[in-house]
Amino acid sequence: MTRTALSNGLGSCPRCQKINKMHSEKQQCSRCAHWFYSRKPNSLQHTMAWTVTALVLFIPANIYPMMTLHTFGKTEASTILQGIATFIQTGHYPIAFIIFMASFIIPLGKIIGLFFLVYHVKHRSNMSLKRQSHLFHIVENIGPWSMLDVFVVVVMASVVNLGFISNIEVSLGASYFALMVIATLMAAHSFDSRLLWDNNNKKEQTHE
Amino acid sequence: MTASLPTDTLAACQRCDTLVNLPKLSNHQKALCPCCNTVLHSPKKHTLDKTFAISFAGLLLLIPATVMPLMGIYAAGQYNQASLFTCIVLLANEGFYFIAFCVFIFAIAVPAVRLFTAFYLTFCLKYTSKKPHLIVFFRSYHLLNNWAMIHVFFLGIIVSLYKLVDIADIAIGTGITSIILLLMCSTMLSITLDHRFIWQQLEQIND
Ligand SMILES: [Zn+2]
Ligand SMILES: [Zn+2]
Repeated sequence: MTRTALSNGLGSCPRCQKINKMHSEKQQCSRCAHWFYSRKPNSLQHTMAWTVTALVLFIPANIYPMMTLHTFGKTEASTILQGIATFIQTGHYPIAFIIFMASFIIPLGKIIGLFFLVYHVKHRSNMSLKRQSHLFHIVENIGPWSMLDVFVVVVMASVVNLGFISNIEVSLGASYFALMVIATLMAAHSFDSRLLWDNNNKKEQTHE
Repeated sequence: MTASLPTDTLAACQRCDTLVNLPKLSNHQKALCPCCNTVLHSPKKHTLDKTFAISFAGLLLLIPATVMPLMGIYAAGQYNQASLFTCIVLLANEGFYFIAFCVFIFAIAVPAVRLFTAFYLTFCLKYTSKKPHLIVFFRSYHLLNNWAMIHVFFLGIIVSLYKLVDIADIAIGTGITSIILLLMCSTMLSITLDHRFIWQQLEQIND
């Protein structure tokens, strides 16, 4: 018994989801004219490349300040961690928690999750398939939330723009952070979750 | 030619590639993948009318959401206010082109393209019998889902409000209301839009 579209010589168009007969590796969708493959080509390599890029960008994103505050001649630059520390000092624990989640836990969790998934496609694992696909679902959907701190800085900088009294300026860290978020989004987009199931099918066949 | 495989009723799970013969579904029913429980298809009641109305409302809201001030600040006798649009202009003026570009794409352009696509397609299907020229837009429709970030931008506004309330007197602008409404429209769109149905309609016009 063949179960998947691939093993039936079919492929579903990623854009319009129409089932097409795959005459070759690459097929043009008969409905929306989009060219596609039954599996994203070099999915794992692309995912790894984007994930490593994101991990590297995470360093300057945290070293450089996100914003610079000018008040009455004083200048004060703060990184993400310093910003969170300020929230804790002033007693805004929920906000500190939200920023910490969005800027640390989500991007790092996403990067680790993607490494994990790529590893599981390449090697045998004890983790159940349901868990793996659940993990991918989370990795795919939480990405945009890590953009939070960038937006906070942008809004603050535009509102607090009072000439010589006080000014907030966006700083270099914000650019690196935005780049890092884009890299994690691209990484999740490059990963083809069907590979997890293909891998499992192969395993079942060898067991039988 | 492909009589052995009726590709119209077949569907493959986008997540695990399981091939399923879709049964005829009535409204409020959902077809789930037997393997991974992903929703394969759930027909929507009055999808054209609802999507048309919501996307039209969303397009109208785009203008106040970008131009109206989000909040203002009073300090030492001075007043300054900012809208989404002035955010982008300010960033570009200070040389942060990349951040300005990101804000523009994620908070304005992607939601706008999604709304426009849904509006244009439902308009064509409802009121004309011709095939829409801009099908290209609809092709990229669900690729854009992960890149629309109004919800994150909205949370960003709330957090910066909290931060600024300590420092100075803050006035909340009408822009925030528009953004909340726009956010609702953008979310509703993914609930009311029946992808499969619209593609089938488009295919029939083609024939
Ligand atoms: Zn297609
Ligand atoms: Zn599935």
